[in-house]
Amino acid sequence: MGAETDPTATIDNELSALREAFLPRFRAATTEQTLRDENAKILGKKGELTRILAMLGKAPPEGRKAIGAKVNALKQEVEAGFETCLRDLRKAGREADLSAPPFDLTLPGRVPVALGHKHPISIVREEVVAVFRQLGFAVHDGPDVEHEANNFTKLGFPPDHPATDMQDSFWTKSNHLLRTHTSNIQIRAMTTLKPPMAFIAPGTVYRRDDDATHSPMFHQIEAFLIDRKVTLAHLKGVLAEFAERLFGPNTPVRLRPSYFPFVEPGAEVDIGCVFCKQSDGTRAGCSLCKHTGYIEVLGCGMIHPVVLENCNIDPDEWSGFALGMGLERIAMLRYGIPNIKLMFDNDPRFLAQF
Amino acid sequence: MKASCNWLRELVPQLDASPKDIAARFTAAGLEVEGIVEFGAATDSCVVASVVSMRPHPTKSGLRLVTVDRGGPQQELVCGAPNVPDPGGLVVLAPLGTHLPAKNMTIGKRAIAGVESEGMLCSEDELGLGDDHDGILVLPAGSAKPGDRLSKAFPWMRDTILEINLTPNRPDGLGHIGLGREIAALYGFSFAVPDVVGTGTGTGTGEIGQLVTIEVRDPERCPHYGAAAVVDITIAPSPTTRYRLQSLGVRSISNVVDVTNLVMLAWGHPMHAFDLDRVRGNRIIVRRANEGEKLTTLDGIERTLVSDDLLICDGEGPVALAGIMGGASSEIQPDTKRVLFEVAWFDPRSVRRTGRRHGMHTESSHRFERGVDPGDVAQVLEHAVAMTRSLAGGNAAKHRMHVQDTRIAGEPTPPARRAITLRAHRLADLLGIDVPFTEAVAILERLGCAVVSKNDKSCDVLVPTHRPDLGREVDLVEEVIRVLGMDAIPAELPAVRASRDVGGHEELARRAREAAISVGLSEAITYGFTSARALEALGAPKPTVLLKNPLGEHHAVMRTSLLPGLLDAVANARRQSEREVREFTIGPVFLQAKAGGDGLPNEQLRIGVVLAGERGGWLEKPQALDAWDAKGYAVAIAQRLGGTPAKVVAVPATREEAQVHAPHLHPRGAAFLELGGRRIGSFGPLHPDAAEAFGLDVGVLVAEIDLEPFVTGPLLPQYATIPRFPAATRDVALVVKDEIRAGEVESAVRAAAGPLAEGVQLFDRFVGGPIPAGSSSLAFHVVYRAADRTLTDAEVDAAHANVVKAVGDRFGATLR
Ligand SMILES: [Zn+2]
Repeated sequence: MGAETDPTATIDNELSALREAFLPRFRAATTEQTLRDENAKILGKKGELTRILAMLGKAPPEGRKAIGAKVNALKQEVEAGFETCLRDLRKAGREADLSAPPFDLTLPGRVPVALGHKHPISIVREEVVAVFRQLGFAVHDGPDVEHEANNFTKLGFPPDHPATDMQDSFWTKSNHLLRTHTSNIQIRAMTTLKPPMAFIAPGTVYRRDDDATHSPMFHQIEAFLIDRKVTLAHLKGVLAEFAERLFGPNTPVRLRPSYFPFVEPGAEVDIGCVFCKQSDGTRAGCSLCKHTGYIEVLGCGMIHPVVLENCNIDPDEWSGFALGMGLERIAMLRYGIPNIKLMFDNDPRFLAQF
Repeated sequence: MKASCNWLRELVPQLDASPKDIAARFTAAGLEVEGIVEFGAATDSCVVASVVSMRPHPTKSGLRLVTVDRGGPQQELVCGAPNVPDPGGLVVLAPLGTHLPAKNMTIGKRAIAGVESEGMLCSEDELGLGDDHDGILVLPAGSAKPGDRLSKAFPWMRDTILEINLTPNRPDGLGHIGLGREIAALYGFSFAVPDVVGTGTGTGTGEIGQLVTIEVRDPERCPHYGAAAVVDITIAPSPTTRYRLQSLGVRSISNVVDVTNLVMLAWGHPMHAFDLDRVRGNRIIVRRANEGEKLTTLDGIERTLVSDDLLICDGEGPVALAGIMGGASSEIQPDTKRVLFEVAWFDPRSVRRTGRRHGMHTESSHRFERGVDPGDVAQVLEHAVAMTRSLAGGNAAKHRMHVQDTRIAGEPTPPARRAITLRAHRLADLLGIDVPFTEAVAILERLGCAVVSKNDKSCDVLVPTHRPDLGREVDLVEEVIRVLGMDAIPAELPAVRASRDVGGHEELARRAREAAISVGLSEAITYGFTSARALEALGAPKPTVLLKNPLGEHHAVMRTSLLPGLLDAVANARRQSEREVREFTIGPVFLQAKAGGDGLPNEQLRIGVVLAGERGGWLEKPQALDAWDAKGYAVAIAQRLGGTPAKVVAVPATREEAQVHAPHLHPRGAAFLELGGRRIGSFGPLHPDAAEAFGLDVGVLVAEIDLEPFVTGPLLPQYATIPRFPAATRDVALVVKDEIRAGEVESAVRAAAGPLAEGVQLFDRFVGGPIPAGSSSLAFHVVYRAADRTLTDAEVDAAHANVVKAVGDRFGATLR
């Protein structure tokens, strides 16, 4: 052993060589894995420091304690260096990630199922129903194929009268007709239920008109209320509330006398034009309202006493109002749809817009 | 109805409001003014000019250079008209800068064939006064001074016309007298019907009874026939009435024809003029037609009549369709010397039926249908006689003849006026405002009602004969608020006493709509009518509701399936090269009426679905939609409608079942949808024959589901305890022959896995590769769990081994 070199010196040399080398080696690592590998090469079970420590046995016992302390000190240095490098590497990694080019979010989004679209007529229909439900009305259904009496006679349409020109009907071979309005539901309600009643009646109606501005099938909603002492003022109140809720605040309502056989007094209802409404609530006038600031949206009136009598309701005890509107017209106004025919083509590109 | 503001002002001298204001008043009272048209607007800027001299155009033949005096410096103009009058004649000059709205042109400085012309001599057509464009307008000599503004010199060339959209209950508004009365009432002015009486009992020209006999054989349809005659007349053009008629959309024909039109436009009461010398046998007979009798009306069409048609006949045959249109034989001619005027009252319903039957709608029938005034016959006749004498000369035959049922007299019996009691409290009851009773009564009086007795609480009102629409008390209430204006009514919310829904279809449809859009379908609205052929092509039930008067074969029956409308939508989309269609529609099908019901068809609410196109996006390879997509949508919609606990099951149809119950589906992919064991619909790929019938290629999938079973609302879920112990999942992949359906294997797996199996789910189906042809590999997740403990591996393995064995034994399936 005499000629042998002193292991203490060798250990010292190797320790200082390692102390010089470990940090540059750590710094050279570009990924967390290579850093950890490098760390393991030094501190692992078969690592360089472990190997150096193993040489300790050959050192003279008196120097072992000092060397052991040196090894431990270096171990701590390596560990600290590793932590620092790891932190730096992670920081650099995050910075690189954050500054990498953005995702192409112009690519379509991934949705489990894209929601479909309600038809614009249905959107309006549901909203109108909802507004009237909030006002306390219930929904009353009725059939598309109807008895003549419910559609015309009991509503007080005089036979062979030009009033029926307004509603040219489709007749079935069994002498029923396709209802020309949802007013048949008034009759159905009044002949089967006792007042008071408050109903909204949406439905499909048919008239023998097919041109640029008419569809032979379209949709109406009718609302009617029968109770004691119902007045035209109540009708106006409900209309004002309806207009506010469906067309937004500051929507004025104007009644113009008109004629429908089943109401008296009867009126057409104009609301403040939705197209030229200014921020202060006034209307500037536009071509769509013919510069009047008003557009016609529905017809209404006090239920004609003849209609009440036809349904065995005493007009001196009960009175009521009815109002009706075409859903197509409201949908067209609301969504700027220029042509009624678009609503029945069911073009997917049209439906997807609503 | 076109209304002349000038005429209204003649009738209501106090009326000095602007046309716009008048229009607003009419509209607010329910006589909606839809347009205001300036008639002869150009006459405000054109001037009268007199011709000074004339010479030919230096280079262009057919053109002349006309020097005119326009009340100042003389001016030379180029003119191409053939009728330039001799010097001294009066013409109309549109000076430089004049705008001619009728031609939408402004007169600018221009050179015509090399000669400058500053202005233009105008025709009627250019002035917007008529359609005469054969030459320039030549004014009667001496009728005005050169330089006079045209509208000043000839005020009848300038008017403002209101276009009123009258509701059918207001026949009185179809004449200026009615409109004058109305506007006077609205402004609070008094109104007097113009006095036209005393204009000629005639001198020495005979008595009407000697000129003609009148026989009314159907007094029900013609309760009043009035006649008068004017003899020794001269038929001539009528320059003074020309522009008024023109402005109201009526062409001026001759003085006597103009009289009938002007009288109609005054009273709203149509009348007819016969050439008395062409009334054969000097007889007028009012009777119903014989079945098959013929009459050629003035429009040149030969009409074959039925016994419901009312005719005016002379001694030899029909000469007019009563109240609608005359025939050619007794028409006024240029040589007519004696005219017989008819003013009658025909039953509105009869006129309407005949008009509709023969597809005729005339100014006359329009008024009779709505009910003309039965009380003004004598005045209308008198007005016609008076105007004829002033325009065409002649003398009126002595007396008039009024035939009312069997009574023939020189003066008519006035028709009875309806009496209505108006109770004061009804005003507030219906209107919701307090109207002083005296004010209400005053309004009614202004409208022509006579109040015969009145106290604080009620009054009796005699309704004027020109207002057939006033039938009962409520009509009087409406008159009051019409005149007061509906702006007087406050808005007041009623206390609504709630009702309950009746029918439930609206809510059902709403829920179905929500279900369908939640799986990505968009809503189509499809027609209720379709063609019998379309339904047949789909093997749908035979239609039971057939239309009598459809718009065409394509819309002739009410649908028994929702699919034709949806398939049309796909065909439409394809025409637009749109391949992707995923739509649904909700609506009734019209089935056989239920026995013992009201006779109306059974309207069954359904949802229909159509799918065409591809599945997938940029992330995966797109693939054509197939039967399993149809199944996915159909089951999802039904499940959403039925609620979580609902047992919605898709049951593949056998070939035979498909043929009978779903012939529109491809037999390979036809399936039924069941809810709690009840069949509620079908789905699958469209049968190629059906696709062809709709002009579609393959790859269209459909589903149709009856919504009625869902009307009571979704089943309520019942809470189940959430498991506290973990589950263990084992997978099994089994290779089975293709004849064996995945559903059977799944049931077998489920049965074999025993009570510990919580769920079985197919997660992969694989064919090809190592799998032998004719077989496929089906892979299932089997989830095991116990409610009271964590299962051991041994327990799970034992249960799972049972699965492999059982399925292997049953199907000959091998583990992959
Ligand atoms: Zn506007």
